[in-house]
Amino acid sequence: MSVGSRTGDFPHLPLHVILLIYVVVTLYPLLWVFTIGFSGQQGLMIVDIPANATFLDRLRAIMPWPAHFSFSNFTSVFTEQPFARWLLNSVIVATATTILGVFLACTAAYAFSRFRFPGRRAGLMSFLVSQMFPGTLMLIPLYIIIVQWLGLGSNFIGLILIYSITGIPFCVWMLKGYFDTIPRELEESALMDGASTATIFYRIVLPLAKPAVAVTALFSFMTAWNEFIQAATFMDKVNMYTAPVGLRFFVGGFSQQWGYFAAGAIVTAIPIVALFLFLQKYLVSGLTAGAVKG
Amino acid sequence: MSQKPSHRRRFAAGLVAALVVGVGLSHWTLVRARVQENRARAERVALVSLNALVDIVERAGGVGDSVRRAVAVFARGSSALTTIRVVAFDGLSLEASTASADGGDKAAPRRLAREEKPLYDQGQRLRAAVETNHQEGGARKEEIEIAAMPGGGLALAAPVTKEGAVVGLVAVETTPVPSPPRTSWLAPLAAVLIPALAFLVLAVPIAERRWVLAVVAATLLLGTMVAYGRYAFATMAGDRRITERTVAGEVTAEAARASSVVSELSLGDPRTLHPGSWDADLFRRPLELIAPDGTVHEAKLAESLAGAAGRTRQVFGAFAVLALALLAFVGFGSATRLGATLRKHRQAYTYTFPALFGMLLLVFLPFLYGVVLSFSDMSLYTSQAPMGDLFSKLWVGLKNFTDILGDFHVATSTAGGLVWNYQNIYWTLGITVIWTVANVAYGVGMGLFLALILNTKGLLGRPYYRVLFILPWAMPNYITALIWKGMFHQQFGVFNQIIQMCGGTPVSWFEKTSTSLFACIATNAWLSVPFMMVISLGALQSISADLYEAARVDGATRWQQFRSITLPSLKPALVPAIILSVIWTFNMFNIIYLVSAGEPGHSTEILITQAYKFAFEQYRYGYAAAYSMVIFAILLAYGVWQNKVTKATEGI
Repeated sequence: MSVGSRTGDFPHLPLHVILLIYVVVTLYPLLWVFTIGFSGQQGLMIVDIPANATFLDRLRAIMPWPAHFSFSNFTSVFTEQPFARWLLNSVIVATATTILGVFLACTAAYAFSRFRFPGRRAGLMSFLVSQMFPGTLMLIPLYIIIVQWLGLGSNFIGLILIYSITGIPFCVWMLKGYFDTIPRELEESALMDGASTATIFYRIVLPLAKPAVAVTALFSFMTAWNEFIQAATFMDKVNMYTAPVGLRFFVGGFSQQWGYFAAGAIVTAIPIVALFLFLQKYLVSGLTAGAVKG
Repeated sequence: MSQKPSHRRRFAAGLVAALVVGVGLSHWTLVRARVQENRARAERVALVSLNALVDIVERAGGVGDSVRRAVAVFARGSSALTTIRVVAFDGLSLEASTASADGGDKAAPRRLAREEKPLYDQGQRLRAAVETNHQEGGARKEEIEIAAMPGGGLALAAPVTKEGAVVGLVAVETTPVPSPPRTSWLAPLAAVLIPALAFLVLAVPIAERRWVLAVVAATLLLGTMVAYGRYAFATMAGDRRITERTVAGEVTAEAARASSVVSELSLGDPRTLHPGSWDADLFRRPLELIAPDGTVHEAKLAESLAGAAGRTRQVFGAFAVLALALLAFVGFGSATRLGATLRKHRQAYTYTFPALFGMLLLVFLPFLYGVVLSFSDMSLYTSQAPMGDLFSKLWVGLKNFTDILGDFHVATSTAGGLVWNYQNIYWTLGITVIWTVANVAYGVGMGLFLALILNTKGLLGRPYYRVLFILPWAMPNYITALIWKGMFHQQFGVFNQIIQMCGGTPVSWFEKTSTSLFACIATNAWLSVPFMMVISLGALQSISADLYEAARVDGATRWQQFRSITLPSLKPALVPAIILSVIWTFNMFNIIYLVSAGEPGHSTEILITQAYKFAFEQYRYGYAAAYSMVIFAILLAYGVWQNKVTKATEGI
C-alpha cells in the first residue's frame, strides 16, 4: 500500500530532465562568479574572444571555466585589501545580532503564544504593519536617532540594535506559530509539578521549538550578514565596513575590480551556504510550522 | 473585597503628580533658558570686542607693523580678551599675536607652523562662508565661528576683509564665561505644595463628588501653571534686560577704546567708527538692539521680548496640557486600572517588554518622525534644523502629497508619439505592479512546480536537488544582483554571448525600458523561487498520504486529487507566504538599485528606489518621506484587503 503514491505512475526520467535543466539555471550564475574569482583577472570575460569569433569560440566564452586557474584574487583580496577586517566586522555584527535577535523574539513570541493579555492583538498586528514601513522612510529618522541622539555612528552596537530589532516582527510571527503547535498539556503538567514559568520556558518550550529557533537564528544571521544599505549609511569609516559594504566598494563607482568582488563574494557566501546545509532539515519544518496555523 | 477606591484620594494623587510634572518641566525649562541666556550674553559681549578689533585691524590694512601696533594697543586695555591672533592668508603668516606662547623666537610676524594648520583651515572655512553668502545674497553659512574652550572661555574667529575679499582672520580667546545665576528651588516647591494643600482643604466639604473634585483640581493646576509661567517669564525677561545693559556697556567701552586706538595710531577719523554695528549675529548682521550712542533700544527690546513671550507661552501651554492629561489619567482611575492590568499580566508584559521597547525606539519612533517629515520640506540644507522648526518654518502641510498624487502628467503627446514622464508616480506605480506580479507569479508557479516534482516518492537524489535549488536563497541578494548585472553586460555579458552564438545581434539591455525591466525581473525571479519551493514542499509533505489513498479508492483522477486535496492543503501555508512575498517584492530595493539602477532615465525605478533617489540623490527629505508614506498607504491598503479576502490572520 505505502509503495504506491499519487505520482507513482509518472516516469522518473522526464522529471530528472526538468530538474537537471533547472539545476543548470540555478547553478550557472554561481559557477560564473567562481570562474571570475579563480581567473586571477579583474575583467568580466571568461576568455578573450577573437574579432571574428566562431560558434565554438563563443561557446567557450560562456562555459563557466576559467582560462587559467589562479588563486591570486583570493590572496590579494586578503593581503592587499582590508577584506579580512571587513569579514571580521561582519562576523561580530552578525553573531551579536543573532544572539540578541533570538532572545528578543523567543521571549516575545512565547508571551504572544501562551498568555492572553490586553494589547496582545494590537501588538501582533502592529508587528505585521511595521513590515510594510518602507525602508527609505525609516532611513533618515534612524540616522538621526542612531547617530545624532545615541552617538552610535560607525559603531557595532548601533548596527546590531537596528538589525536585531527590525527583524523582530518576522521572527516573532514565525516562532509564535511554532509555539502554538506545542501542546499546552506538557506545560500544564510541568506546572502541576511546581515548575515556574521561566523553567517551563527554558526547559520545555525552547528545546521543543529547536527547529523554529534554529530558523530564527539563521534568519537573524542572514539579515545581518547580507544587509548593506544601512551598513553603508551608518558605517562611514573604511575599517568599520561590513563585508557587503566592502564588496560594493570593489565594483561601485569607478571601481571595476570584478576579480576581487568575485573572490570576496565567494568567501562571504560560504558561511551562509554552510549554515544552510547544516540547518536545512529545520528550514522546512520551522517555516511551515510557523505558516500553517490551521 | 477591598474598600471602594476614594475619588478624593485619587484626585489628590493626580494633582500632586500633575503639579510635579508640570512645574518640574517648567522649572527645568527656566533653568535651561537662564543657562542659555548667560552663554548668549557672554557671546555677544565677546562679539562686540571681536568686531571692534576686526574693524581696527581692517583699518590697519590687515598686514604689517600697523596691525601689530594696533593689536598691542588694543590688547593693553582689554580685559575680556585673553589672547589675540591675526593671520594673513597671503604668505600664510601670523601677523600679530598676544599669546604668551608666541613670544621669543616665535614672535609675530612669522610663517604659520605646521601644527597651526587648524587656524589656517578655520580661515579658509570663514572665507568660503563669506563667499557663499555673498553669492547667494543671503545668510546661510556662519561668518564667525564660536567654540567653547576646555577652560570655560570662548574661542572666536572672524574674517578680515579688504576691498570685499577675505584676506585673513582674527582669532581671539576670552576669559571664562561667568557661571549662570542660581535659580531658587523654593518657587517650584511652593508651586507644588500650596495648590496640593489647598486641594486637601477644599476637598473636605466636596467629599466624594467626582466632577466637582475634577474641576477644583484642574482649576488649581491651571492656575498654578499660569502663575509659574508668569514667574518664569519674568525671570527670563529680567535676565534678558541684564544682557542688553551689559552689551550696551560693552559697546560704550569698546567704542571709547577703539576711538583712542584709532586716533593714537592715526588710522583715520574716529567718528567713522560704527560701534552700534558691533553687536551683531554670527552672519555679521547688526542686531540693532543697541542704539549708536550706546543705550538700549527699548522699543526693539520690547518687540523681541514679546516674541519670546509668545514662544514661552506655547511651550508652557504644552506642559500644562500634559499635566492636565496626567491629572485626568490618575484622577479618573485609568492609572489604577492600568496598574492593575500590568500587575495581573506581569509575566506577559515582562516577556514582551524588551522586544516592544526596542520596536518602539527603532521602528515606531522613526516611523512617526518620518510621518512628521512628510509634512515638511526638509532638505539637505535644513537637516540640522531643530525639531521645533519642522512644525513651524519647514511645515508645508499636504503640499508634498498633492504634488505627488495630483500630478497626472504621466505622458505628453508630441509629434513623435507619446513621451512618458518617468518621474511621475503613476508610471512608477505601474512598473512596480508589473515587477511585483511577474516576480511573485513566477516564484509561486516555479516553486510549486519544483516542489511537486521533488515530492515524488522514491525519486532519486531528492535531497541533492533540494540543496542545489535552495542555493539562490542562501546567496546574499546584493551579490546575486551584481553577478546578474555582470551577466547582462552589453559587451562582455554571457547573455549577449549566447545571443551572438545563435546568430543574433547583442542587446543593450539597459538602454530600453522593456529589456532593462526584464533583466531585473529575471534576476529577482531566480532569487524568489527557493522560498516558495521550500514553503510548498513543507506543506506538501505534511499532507497525509491517506487522503490520496482514499481519493484513489474513490476513483479520483490525478487532476481531481490535485484540485481537491493538494491545493486546499497548500492554501494555509501558501497564502501567508504569498502575502509576505508580495510585500517583500514590492519593497525589494537591492535588485532594481543594483541591476538597472533605474536606467534608462529612471524608467525602471520601482516606488521604493525612486523614494530613495529623492532622499539621497536629490536630498529632498520631506518629499521623499511623503513619497514613502504613499508607498506605505498602498501596502497597508493591500494588507487590509488581503486580510479581508483570505482571513489569514483569523484566530490569532
